Amino acid sequence: MSTPVNAEQAWRDLQRIRVPQERVLDEAERSASGGPAAAYGTAALMWVFLAGLGLDLPRWGVWLAIAAYVALLGALAAGHHRRSRMRLHRTRCTWRMSAAFAAGGVAIAGVTLLSGGLVEPLGPPAAGLVQATVSTAAFLLFVGPAGRWATGSLRGDGEAATRQVAGR
Amino acid sequence: MSTPTGFDELIHPATRLSVVALLAATEWADFAFVRDSLSLSDSALSKQLHTLGEAGYLELRKEGGGRKRRTTVRLTDHGRAAFEGHVAALRAIVESAGPPPATGVAQPSTTEARQRQHGHAEAAR
Repeated sequence: MSTPVNAEQAWRDLQRIRVPQERVLDEAERSASGGPAAAYGTAALMWVFLAGLGLDLPRWGVWLAIAAYVALLGALAAGHHRRSRMRLHRTRCTWRMSAAFAAGGVAIAGVTLLSGGLVEPLGPPAAGLVQATVSTAAFLLFVGPAGRWATGSLRGDGEAATRQVAGR
Repeated sequence: MSTPTGFDELIHPATRLSVVALLAATEWADFAFVRDSLSLSDSALSKQLHTLGEAGYLELRKEGGGRKRRTTVRLTDHGRAAFEGHVAALRAIVESAGPPPATGVAQPSTTEARQRQHGHAEAAR
């Protein structure tokens, strides 16, 4: 059986593969940076949750608040999933995306604990309100640059992966 | 010269190659996203997806209901393996012919590549 394509045609096919894969990277970047609603929604939930915890709730109230917070975050994530047009394949995800997620968790938890300790003398509910506001502000300040940093690497690494697939 | 191992006649046509290449970069993709990204009509894309689906290369899933109903497409493990094999075969063909051609095709800019792809997609309709 003879080769169905010559070398030049095979080369063009390899280059052709890059185009749709770049569209995927475009969409991944767009969906990562294009939706302030998700960040503000998450921040609003966070503020209400932390302010609620600052009201010196009984144990059952704390568990109820945690359950409601997790359920609402889940609903927010489900809504985001429904609006998404695609999900990047796991092989295209970069270490920066995981690092940004982990660093975000550590940074926000750190700010929350630190601010909680600093405002403790104020007593409820003022301490809870200040802690919630500071933590939410830290989240909003972090989420934009971290998202851009993570998706910025996506294009570089993604193109490298695509070139590797295409034999470059 | 023999056909390199992994060369896939089903994936080889340009439109199908583009569809599979796009899906290979995703866990799943919305039908409308694939259609818009490749500048295909609904019917042209449906035809290609049907062919690939019959070969077990991809799965179509319908989600939601009413006006929010949408179709998502996912490359199966079989389809992903076939795509990787086909790409390896194309590389083998290129490598067997020596260094890549020193033409504009070798390093197309994104814009050039998109224009070429758009033209190709139009022709495939």
